[in-house]
Amino acid sequence: MTRTPIDTVGRPSSRAGAPAERPSAQAGAPRAGGRKRAFTTRKGFAILGFLAPAMLFVSVFIYYPMISGSQMAFRNWNLTNLTDTSWVGFKNFEAIFANPVFYTVLGNTLLWVLGSIIPQLVIGFAIALWLRRKFRFRGVYQALIFFPWAISGFLIGILFRWMFNSEFGVVNDLLAKAGLIDSPIPWLAEPGSAMTAVIIANIWYGVTFFAIMILAALQSVPDDLFEAAALDGAGKVRTLFQITIPYIRTTLALTILLRVIWIFNFPDIIWAMTGGGPANQTHIVTTWMINTTQRGDYGQASAIGLIVVGILLVFSAFYLMAIREKKDA
Amino acid sequence: MAHKKSMAGLGLGLVAALALSGCSGEASDGSVTLQMVESLTNPARTEVLDELIGQFEEENPGITVELVSPPTDQADQKIQQMLQAGEGIDVVEVRDITVGPFSTNGWLADMSAELEDWDGWANLTENAAKYATNAEGKTYYVPYGFYGLSLFYRTDLIEEAGFDAPPASWEELLEQASAIQDPSKNQFGYAFRGGTNANSNVVVAIEAYVADQIDPDNAFKLENGDTIFSAPEAADALETYFELFEKASPPSSVAWGYPEMVEGFSNGSTAFLLQDPEVIATVEQSAALKADQWTTAPLLTGPTGKAIQPMATAGWGTAESSEHKAEAAKLIAFLSEGEASTTFTEKNSLVPILKDAAESDFSKTGAWASYVTMNENPDTYITAVQPRDSSWWTEWIQKSDAEVQQVLIGQMTQQELLESWDAYWVDKWKNN
Amino acid sequence: MINTETNPARVIRVVVLALWLVITVFPLYWITITSLKEPGAIFSYPLTYWPEAISLENYVGLFEKAQFGTYLGNSLLVATVAASVATLISMLSAYVLARFEFRSKGALMMAFLVTQMIPAFIALGPLYLLMTQLKLVDNKFGLILIYIAVCIPFCTVMLRGFFANVPDALEEAAMIDGCSRIGALFRVIVPVMKPGIVAAFIFNFVNCWNELFLSVTLMNRDQNKTIPTALNGFITSYNIDWGSMSAAAVLTIIPTMVLFAFASRYIVQGLTAGAVKG
Repeated sequence: MTRTPIDTVGRPSSRAGAPAERPSAQAGAPRAGGRKRAFTTRKGFAILGFLAPAMLFVSVFIYYPMISGSQMAFRNWNLTNLTDTSWVGFKNFEAIFANPVFYTVLGNTLLWVLGSIIPQLVIGFAIALWLRRKFRFRGVYQALIFFPWAISGFLIGILFRWMFNSEFGVVNDLLAKAGLIDSPIPWLAEPGSAMTAVIIANIWYGVTFFAIMILAALQSVPDDLFEAAALDGAGKVRTLFQITIPYIRTTLALTILLRVIWIFNFPDIIWAMTGGGPANQTHIVTTWMINTTQRGDYGQASAIGLIVVGILLVFSAFYLMAIREKKDA
Repeated sequence: MAHKKSMAGLGLGLVAALALSGCSGEASDGSVTLQMVESLTNPARTEVLDELIGQFEEENPGITVELVSPPTDQADQKIQQMLQAGEGIDVVEVRDITVGPFSTNGWLADMSAELEDWDGWANLTENAAKYATNAEGKTYYVPYGFYGLSLFYRTDLIEEAGFDAPPASWEELLEQASAIQDPSKNQFGYAFRGGTNANSNVVVAIEAYVADQIDPDNAFKLENGDTIFSAPEAADALETYFELFEKASPPSSVAWGYPEMVEGFSNGSTAFLLQDPEVIATVEQSAALKADQWTTAPLLTGPTGKAIQPMATAGWGTAESSEHKAEAAKLIAFLSEGEASTTFTEKNSLVPILKDAAESDFSKTGAWASYVTMNENPDTYITAVQPRDSSWWTEWIQKSDAEVQQVLIGQMTQQELLESWDAYWVDKWKNN
Repeated sequence: MINTETNPARVIRVVVLALWLVITVFPLYWITITSLKEPGAIFSYPLTYWPEAISLENYVGLFEKAQFGTYLGNSLLVATVAASVATLISMLSAYVLARFEFRSKGALMMAFLVTQMIPAFIALGPLYLLMTQLKLVDNKFGLILIYIAVCIPFCTVMLRGFFANVPDALEEAAMIDGCSRIGALFRVIVPVMKPGIVAAFIFNFVNCWNELFLSVTLMNRDQNKTIPTALNGFITSYNIDWGSMSAAAVLTIIPTMVLFAFASRYIVQGLTAGAVKG
């Protein structure tokens, strides 16, 4: 069976859900002949039966509470006084859009996502490329560099907060020993360095995911493609951009999408390291939402949550359209 | 097909198990199980509570108490969920900052009927009795102790720097802390609070500067009805206070909250710390400091020669949804009198709620001496009530904390800070 | 792969890989030696990169004071059961999504994707009420049910990708031989997809193992708490017990590390198995 590149790398597209369906439908095309069976009752029952447990769990324990919780966004729902929880329409949303902090937070979120994802992608890509080669202790190496993935975000935040402590932290100590700084950097005390510190922690955490996904995709690139490129006299860089990247483009694009969604929604590290400070300068949308719940305003917090979903849905739609056009072109 | 059946069976089994597995604390033999939830959890305190509960259970064979100890970070949120669900919670730790919202929402039971005949009332200190009964005569919680500020200081460091007594005022603190500060040796003057709850010490400084004019029933108000932030003296207070940061504190303290401050003092790197008495126990365990290297001094005064002691407290209350209110009150009474209360306040370094405990030797020696000094001079160390029970208190904390940090990193001037705080409280008082 | 690597390229590769290894492992090293220091030595200055006296006091304290053994057992139980059941259920739904075309398929995939976008806290209040009504608060079984639900969406889409790469022909042959569809799934596809399934299981396990928020909300008694709750408990309002916390962290990381060491081969293979087998 001949496989197109899209076929083998179309898998992660599944994660992107409906809009991404087309590439994988394409991917399925070669074997579509075997699949086009007439719709039968028997088949209908099989589909339903197989899906039932998953649907039951997700609707009871995720969708029901989620939808039930979302209504708070349209009500005056403040824990400091729950005697009046009347419907207020879009008042909570208006309050958020009128709050200047919201825009600072949006900017921070953008910085947080981009600042985390680009280095994660580059380092993850490099490691994946190099891990493709067999070398001694590769297995041990893999197990070791995968380990950040095994730690909770909360714990990573606490750990890095300690390491970035200006007086007793190991980061400043090492920088000083290496002669790179004269006096300790108060990492978490200044907006710029605090953002840098939380992003460094996140990069450390997230490279693994890219490395695994890209390594997986790379292993689907046939060796003869590289050999052909080498025979053509293509240099390393040209091979990378003209063969490797186009070949795993779909995986890359969709891994990035998934990571964007996750990083956007990932308050743990920031919450543990800075709590959004100093002066809101490291708050991202989700940490700001936690802040809002802490002062009891569940109405506004829920509204922020729905705004997050809205932003991510719109982003996903545009993103998927963009990569789709490129492919068609 | 066997596989298919087993799959369907799995789904059914899960649903059935859902329905069957009940787990409530009720017993059929008439005995009662109380669920007690703490908020300011820490392992050492939980241990003490467990012991006290054990004694209570021994005295009251029909009652079992289950102590729930969520991590303190998440505790208040969990307590809210439990109270809102109206199930599985009988006795709850109520804080002065949560009693307002909790009682407004009808989550707390008024215990005055159950505690009417309690003979422990007579032994409560004036403050404890005041907090135990609110303005409407209702008892939503009985305080277990009080938090109040004193100045932790390093006796050895101030001596080396040539001072023979600890600072009594904010000005003197600035002078001594600046003299001790030496970043090249990782030696700092003052454990500045710039992170969570940064506003609290700013307010304490301002209050000391306007102590002459303050309204004792509302420490954010002057006697003339204006806010304390509008007084010209408040600007002087800020100048000294923020100079303390510039000249005598670790630069990273912009981000310091409670743990970093306490750590900064107990690991020996900072010479001064303004904190609650519960920190005494922590510092006593410090490996870096010997007992003769530190002690406490009374709260810092302003140019008025006076200081305002902000009283913070927490205690035990009963959930409105509890089906065992009488037993819950019994437990709370037990914890609020005699040996149990004394043990709890001593082990947790709290200002006691009992008159006889306040007079005991324990509270008069060592690091505790400063509290005695403060108690004996109520005209210098004035107790004034901060509006911590306002429903917008948490909102205020978040707003003011962020603005203190803005001043520290140069995004806001001290004057703007005062104007903003003044406007905030004027607006809140007008509209509520 | 043909060997065209030049010497400078090789040097860069080795240096970067080594550097990343150091960066990755250093925090682990740091937390480990912190946990082995005597409680008083943690704040000594200047910093020591090697504990002067190795002390197990922090570890002993965990089991003596904090019932850490119970938490460890709970976490193992909850994470193992939830991850297994979630993987099993996801296999079924993933299989259908990979093999059948039907009208609501796109919507279903979208519904799974949206669960990844929603901040969990929105659902927390209603979820607590639901669990109260089901009498499943402070109940390990209740927590398992929720963890299963949380794991299913991502696990389904992950497995769907693997299944899509197994040729139809395999199971069709099996079905002609008299297997039912589910029989074909378990007898033919599962063995082929074992690495992918292992990877999915590990992903679920790690997620459940580390989950804090739901566990704190739903568990009350010590006998039901999981490790992340215990870890968070070392941050009290006035102190962070670094010694106990690092020790607890090391013990928390070890099981997942062991799992990774055994399965890292599977993870990489798992994600590519479809392509390889195809």
